[in-house]
Amino acid sequence: MDLLLQYLANGLVTGSFYALSALGLTLILGLMRVVNFAHGELYMLGGVMGWWATTRLGLDFFSGLVLVAVAMGAFGWLVDRFLIERIRDQGEEAGILLTIGLSIFLANTALLAVGTAPLKVEAPISAAPAFIGPIVLTKLRLFAVAVCALMVAAAWLTIHKTRLGRAMRATFQDPTAARLVGIRTANVYASTFAMGTVIASMAGMLLGSIYSAQVAVGGLVSMKAFVVVILGGMGSFAGAIAGGLLLGVAEALWGGYVATGWVDIIGFALVILTLVFRPYGLFAKRAERA
Amino acid sequence: MKFERNCLFAFLALAALVPFAVRDQYVLHIAIMVLFYAVLATSLNLVVGYVGEFSLGHTAFLGTGAYAAAILSTQYGWPMWLTIPVAGLLSALVGALIGAITLRLQGPFFVIVTLSFAEVLRLVADNWIGLTNGPMGIAGVPQPGVLAEAGNLASKQFYYAVAWGLLALALYLSWRFVHSNAGRAAVAIRENRYVAQSIGVRPLTYSMLALVLGALLSGMAGGFYAHYISFVGPEMFRFAFMVSMIIMVLVGGKGTLVGPLIGALLVTFLEEYLREAKELRLSIFGLAVIAIVLFLPQGLMGFAGRRRERRNPAPAAATGPATPPAPKVAHHASGRTA
Repeated sequence: MDLLLQYLANGLVTGSFYALSALGLTLILGLMRVVNFAHGELYMLGGVMGWWATTRLGLDFFSGLVLVAVAMGAFGWLVDRFLIERIRDQGEEAGILLTIGLSIFLANTALLAVGTAPLKVEAPISAAPAFIGPIVLTKLRLFAVAVCALMVAAAWLTIHKTRLGRAMRATFQDPTAARLVGIRTANVYASTFAMGTVIASMAGMLLGSIYSAQVAVGGLVSMKAFVVVILGGMGSFAGAIAGGLLLGVAEALWGGYVATGWVDIIGFALVILTLVFRPYGLFAKRAERA
Repeated sequence: MKFERNCLFAFLALAALVPFAVRDQYVLHIAIMVLFYAVLATSLNLVVGYVGEFSLGHTAFLGTGAYAAAILSTQYGWPMWLTIPVAGLLSALVGALIGAITLRLQGPFFVIVTLSFAEVLRLVADNWIGLTNGPMGIAGVPQPGVLAEAGNLASKQFYYAVAWGLLALALYLSWRFVHSNAGRAAVAIRENRYVAQSIGVRPLTYSMLALVLGALLSGMAGGFYAHYISFVGPEMFRFAFMVSMIIMVLVGGKGTLVGPLIGALLVTFLEEYLREAKELRLSIFGLAVIAIVLFLPQGLMGFAGRRRERRNPAPAAATGPATPPAPKVAHHASGRTA
């Protein structure tokens, strides 16, 4: 029984990390309809830059996080304005191929710059264990879960309560109408992509302090993020969180009771089943489907 | 159509001459890889170019074929003449199974679920050690008996001939498919699903046909690869293979039969040539992909086709300057269906 609780706790913690790493993608894929294969690389860049800021520049964790957010935000903005802008109306294929090219470029250029070794991001608090009843977790992980919750809330508030968020929602409902009422949709698209990039890179740095930042991690992160977004339903925040937690718990239980080697198969099996039986995701509000 | 046919014949004829002109084993190896990739790109093009759905799971069929050929020949001692066709049939079966599930989806959903299937198969290949020998892969896939006495060059020439035969078969089957009623129906679905449905074309039937044919061809290519390289590992299902295939199809021009051939030729040589740049190789490759998307959206064949149209415009288009093909309506519509 205690073991089950421990598995559940581990699953929920990993799940909230999954949710956080998928949050950026739910904006970019769910709202902008760009099938972003470079998502994992944006996450990876966040981790690598976080390592660079904390160990090479000697910043503390939070100033490093701010630096990463600003730099990656600018990067995301530029990527959208100079690359994605040009293929906006060409359907998904162009976006897929473009982001695949971008991910190959980013991953291999980062490989040249910092090599394959795992990079340790300086953690903000100690990794001492914390005991909650029969469950053992590290303080660092609990802290990270709290930051996840904070970031999700911040992203939700940005989309639902600010002027920019209103412009975003208008643009993604009907770009032509949005342009007609004077919204600069090009800026809105770029802001959305930048926001997705910032969230992905912050997730990369935060989780880099728990695991480690690695250049080669991008592909795996992209795949997990796709799984979470599909499970939760396109563009749904609550869905991304629920999808992340579901995936985390399912993997923890499967890894604990069945077989550790096959853990990664869970996500794909869930995606296939979801798309067959509930093609618009488990939690989407609109009945939008393939 | 005539132009296309002549191009295909010219390509095959030129390819048939290569082993007589080339005595260098390395160059011959590259040439074999070009033919192998040309088969793969042709098979992928049937789905991407003619059905218009972006499949990222084509490695599933390639890997299934390769593993089938490797297992049949190492464990059951089947000869290569049997394993390659059986590998193709098995992949076609897998294609029918995967297609029955995935072809109901469109757009990003189709992309991701096909990718999921390839990843699932990769994990199976990695973990089902009893059948696939896990991450170690299956080494020592036997060569056909004819090659027992032959030297290195002769066996390269032999494999070149086999690959050429496969490519000829792939082009013949694709040609027959594309210029049949089924192929025209597939194109109708690609251009506008709803119009196609309204005139009685059932999308699932024809996209399934294209997918199964593509799976058959890439399974045979996989079987060939297993014998030629004589090693099969879970890397067959890797995304990297998929990326090469996709780039070949799109660089050459999807929806044309000649395009994938040009793409295979170009990308294989580019990859080899960039080997000189060592570590920078993949970075440059990534940039090249981005540049192609931005500057050659229709691929080389699309570009050439527009040039040809401009030079001798069809009577209907003679009044105005030839414009690039309008963006497809189907893409926008495909996002929101009840």
